[in-house]
Parts: sequence; structure tokens; C-alpha cells
Amino acid sequence: MTTPQLQQVCLQWFKKLKQYLIVKILLSLLLAYIAILTSSVVQAQSKAKQSSYDLMSAENKALQDNLDMNPAAFWLLDGQALWTQPSGPKSLSCASCHGDAERSMKGVAASFPKIRSRRLTTLEEQIEICRTERQGLVRAGHESKVSLALSTYVASQSKGLPIHIDDSPAMRAQIDEGAKLFNKRIGQLNLSCAQCHDERAGLKLGGSVIPQAHPSGYPIYRLEWQSVGSLERRLRNCMIGVRSEPFPYDSDELKQLEAFLMWRAEGMILESPAVRP
Amino acid sequence: MANTSRTLVTMPREAKKGEVIDIKVIVQHDMESGFRRTEQGGLIPRDIIRSFTCTYGGSEIFRAELHPGTGANPMIVFSTIATESGTLEFKWVGDNDYSSVATSVLTVV
Repeated sequence: MTTPQLQQVCLQWFKKLKQYLIVKILLSLLLAYIAILTSSVVQAQSKAKQSSYDLMSAENKALQDNLDMNPAAFWLLDGQALWTQPSGPKSLSCASCHGDAERSMKGVAASFPKIRSRRLTTLEEQIEICRTERQGLVRAGHESKVSLALSTYVASQSKGLPIHIDDSPAMRAQIDEGAKLFNKRIGQLNLSCAQCHDERAGLKLGGSVIPQAHPSGYPIYRLEWQSVGSLERRLRNCMIGVRSEPFPYDSDELKQLEAFLMWRAEGMILESPAVRP
Repeated sequence: MANTSRTLVTMPREAKKGEVIDIKVIVQHDMESGFRRTEQGGLIPRDIIRSFTCTYGGSEIFRAELHPGTGANPMIVFSTIATESGTLEFKWVGDNDYSSVATSVLTVV
């Protein structure tokens, strides 16, 4: 062969190789894409709703399960005493209107927050409304011992029942607002709730497993707090964690987040009062 | 903290003679360390339980000293040998005239 002929053959061969390589690269990309798709489907399927109870040590589980050892029992017993104790100018107790809490409060905590008088209302707020409007008392205040004792007592009446909140259009609008907040990046760390608790749930942050953030045990006795605390306190904790200014207690934003989280935990069994590290 | 508070005691009601029994006690108390400050910067005075004692049939079988490093609602777990039927008395004493007492009857068979 002459040199130009050789050149032509080489060129043709090179073109074929190039075509082959392009096809091969495209094919492998397609395969990789399919692999990613199927794995994310598998991931989505394996992400069943999980209570952070499952992530606790055997010792902490025992603390929660045994009411003789669960420190939240003190709040529960205080709440039980408050329930029947007449107080305020009208000398009314919770029981004066609601009777036996074991009957009247069964399932109540599993359905809060809800729309009351066209306002999104949490269980803690409803207790304050009863105290100020019906009993004529002054506000106990969020995270006060009285508020936590009563909410713990009321919530414990729903222990073992599935979470189910109203999904009327008005409630739906509040849940949607909560979903927006859940997905919104905030703070100096520029993180959204979803980035940890949806996308990275099950992975680790420091030494601890990131939970799915289902509010299935509130009010909780948190060992870190050495006290019982509300879901709003926990939400404010995370906001401080990502270095943002936390929303105030009873703010629309916290209540909407609470509504979204309860909707997201639909069907999960309420464990109140739960123990968490 | 109030002068007294709630307590919870977990132990068997009945035991065989010579048997080792586990006793779990938990008491409601803030255990304010005395090192914390208010949002305005003022020091919150110390208010803790200082001692816990357990007597069995009148004689002391267990004692613990508590310090500012002990967390709120302290739980104490210990064991003893069931020697004879009698009353176990649990007593917590602390700052600001705090004192709580709980009793539990053990029958030895």
C-alpha cells in the first residue's frame, strides 16, 4: 500500500473506533442511569416510617417502656392531679367539663394540631385556652411545669393509638405551608429540615443516627434536657442547631411545621410520654 | 423545688430467704447545680438532693451522697439480700429542707 492509502485506511478505522466508543459511553451512561433509578426506588421502598425509639439503646428503651422508671411519669402524675383539682375564680377543674380523661381524652393528642375557631391550634394552646377562657386562670406559659404536666397526661391517653390528623382543605393549606418550611434552607449552615431528616435519615451526624423526625412520642422526656419538653421546643432546638433564629413558641410557622410533621407521620403509633436521648 | 416530691420504687413484693433482690428508685427533683445562670446573667442558687439512704427493718443497708453533677430526677439502682420480712424505707434529703420518704414492704417466704 502507498502511504496515502495507508493513511485513509487508518482514518477510516479510527472513525469506526470513535463511533464505537461513543456508542459504548452512551450505553454505559444509560445503564448507570437505570441503576440509579432502580436503587432510589429500592431506597424509597426500604424507607418505611421508623420511630426514633428503634434507634435507642436497650437501657433507654427500658426507661420509656417501664412507667416505674420513666421520668416523664412525674409529669404524668402531676397532670393527673391537676386534672381533677378545682382552681381559678370559678373553682373549675379540667374534669368539671371533660370528666374522666381516660375516656374523654382518648385519641385527642393523636389528632392535634387541628383547626379550632378557624385558627391552627396545638394541644398546648388548647390547654391554655381552656385554662384562661373556661377556668379564668392566667396563662401557664409554654414549657412551664403545669403546661407540660397537663399535655403529658392528655397525650398519654392516646398511647398506642395511630396518629391521624384532619385533612380538610383548610388544614391541608396549613400542612402545605409546613411542607414549604420543612424544605426551606435556613440559618448560617443553610440547611433545610428535609436535607437531614428526609435525604439523610439513617445516615450519621457525628456519632448518632439521623432520625426520620416523626413526632410520635411528644411530649418527650429528653435526657439532654433533664425534663419533659414539647415538640415546639425540639423544633426550636434544631433551628438553633443550624444557626438560624428559631421561630417563637406558638408562632404560625412552628404550628404549621407541627401540622406537616403529624401529617407526615400518619398512621404511626403514639408513644407518649416517650424517652429520648 | 418544693419541700418534698414524688418518688417511684420498683422492687419485688415477695422473695425467697437468701435471694438477691434488685431495687430501683427514682425521685422527682430538678437538681439545680448552682452553676447555671438565668438569661439576665444572675446565678441560680444550688438546690440539690444531698443524700439518699435505705433502711431494711430499721438498719441501714445502702447510702449514697449526691453532688451538683448528678442529673435531674436521679435514679438509683442497688441490690440487697432478702433476710427477713420487713419494711424498706427510702429517704432523700437535700437543700432548702427538702426531704422525701417512701416505704415498701417485703415478704420473705
